[in-house]
Amino acid sequence: MREVGIIGAGMVPFGKYPQRTLAEIAWPAVKAALEDANVPKRDIGAAYCGTALGGMMSGQRILKTLGITGLPIVNIENACSSSSTAFREAWISVAAGIYDVVLVIGVEKLTKFGGGTLPLEKEDFEVAHGLVMPALYAMRAQRYMHEYGLTENHLAKVSVKARAHGQYNPDAQMRETTTVEAVKSSRLVADPLRLFHCCPSGDGAAAVVICAADKLAHYGGVPIRVIGSEINSGKYMTGFRDMTSPEITLRGAAQLYEESGIGPSDIDLAEVHDAFSIAELLYYEALGFCNKGEAGRMIDQEETFVGGKIPVNPSGGLLSKGHPIGATGVAQIVEVVRQLRGHCGSRQVEGAKVGMTHCTGGGISGFDHGVCSIHLFAR
Amino acid sequence: MIPTEDLKKVLSIADEAMIENPDGTIRLVATECRDCGQRVFPPTEVCPECMSESIKFFELSEKGTLYSWSVVHAAPKNWITPYIAGYVDMPEGVRVFAHIVNVDPEILSFDMPVSVCKVTMGLDPDGKSIESYSFVPSMTGEN
Ligand SMILES: [Zn+2]
Repeated sequence: MREVGIIGAGMVPFGKYPQRTLAEIAWPAVKAALEDANVPKRDIGAAYCGTALGGMMSGQRILKTLGITGLPIVNIENACSSSSTAFREAWISVAAGIYDVVLVIGVEKLTKFGGGTLPLEKEDFEVAHGLVMPALYAMRAQRYMHEYGLTENHLAKVSVKARAHGQYNPDAQMRETTTVEAVKSSRLVADPLRLFHCCPSGDGAAAVVICAADKLAHYGGVPIRVIGSEINSGKYMTGFRDMTSPEITLRGAAQLYEESGIGPSDIDLAEVHDAFSIAELLYYEALGFCNKGEAGRMIDQEETFVGGKIPVNPSGGLLSKGHPIGATGVAQIVEVVRQLRGHCGSRQVEGAKVGMTHCTGGGISGFDHGVCSIHLFAR
Repeated sequence: MIPTEDLKKVLSIADEAMIENPDGTIRLVATECRDCGQRVFPPTEVCPECMSESIKFFELSEKGTLYSWSVVHAAPKNWITPYIAGYVDMPEGVRVFAHIVNVDPEILSFDMPVSVCKVTMGLDPDGKSIESYSFVPSMTGEN
């Protein structure tokens, strides 16, 4: 396998763009990534486009606006992990020597559904019976609070941190800071989760350009190296699964750490899938940033704030940035690229050398999650 | 002929996962693999463990225990909110997603006994009532 580096990154601010088409939302992100990479159109060997609900031929619809056609374009759906999956497939194609330069796009337009909870697959038995994503995470939260003594204040502090970081990110949707009291008085969505515990819905796009290490000389600049790539599907369990333990993330992280030789203590920052406040806390433990049952203490002691032991979601995370689901995976990678380049201003993690992205997806019966993809990067 | 659906004006979404007894009580139905014993709820036609298609149906107990729950305030339009969503662990080893009904959520507790019952859960987009199973806390002294 060849070494692979990211040479360009771009995104559009996440927000609400009901008047723009999917292609109109996405092309500025693609153009920004290509300009950042200093790559001419003709050098792009293939494009991978991740979107969950963008519809057929999303990649072609986007790339025709920039006249990038006649190359292999692959569209990938994998729920909230659609574009982290696209990145993984793109990485494989370059590492395997099939292409030298590949474009990866993540895109979603959720305003076309008119707001509310994410539309899930109605053929699923639990969805047909009224399971919605906030309820699923709420039940995880309830059980975790019961077993480990986590409080509403702990949950609220995750949202406070997200906004504290997000205020410095021009691409984030929610940039106003908040307080524990304000979080606790926002309206109930699925008890104990309130509005500020839930990531905002919206639209957005992000793109990166990756390149084989032996072709980097053509483009100049300093690449961000891909030092670990992992994807898994959840295990289907018909019995009594422990909802306080996100099995797919645990399993994926263990595999990635073993393959890459990197451990949790080597990581300077992580962008994790905080679709709901409780999720981020469960992932501190599953990713090995603390032991089981210690997540509450970790947020209490602000170890995951920028300036803390292991800053989590310096971009503001999904809670502040918003979660146009198919765009999220690549947007997390864009943040890690910017952090490792030292371009993040007031939210910069000082001296960051190794960064992680973690993206899960999918609410279907019998799974912790349908999919999870984790990546490691270094400069 | 008027379609049967229109006569009923009711849509049971539990399908073969629920049976109704002559006295109006209901039971949930799961499947068990004749080859490896794997149990699955809701029923399936193929075993997810050994891929056998030799599957038998069996009734689950009336009572299970409440693993977790949440009072849901935000849901797609056809649901009557707020409702209580929960996971119920059955003695036969399967976990069932269900609404928990006829109870003040304040009195719910982890691992408490709950009993299966039938309810109208909401309305489908055509205005038909959606019917399925749900659970209610078991009467005290009956455990
Ligand atoms: Zn079997």
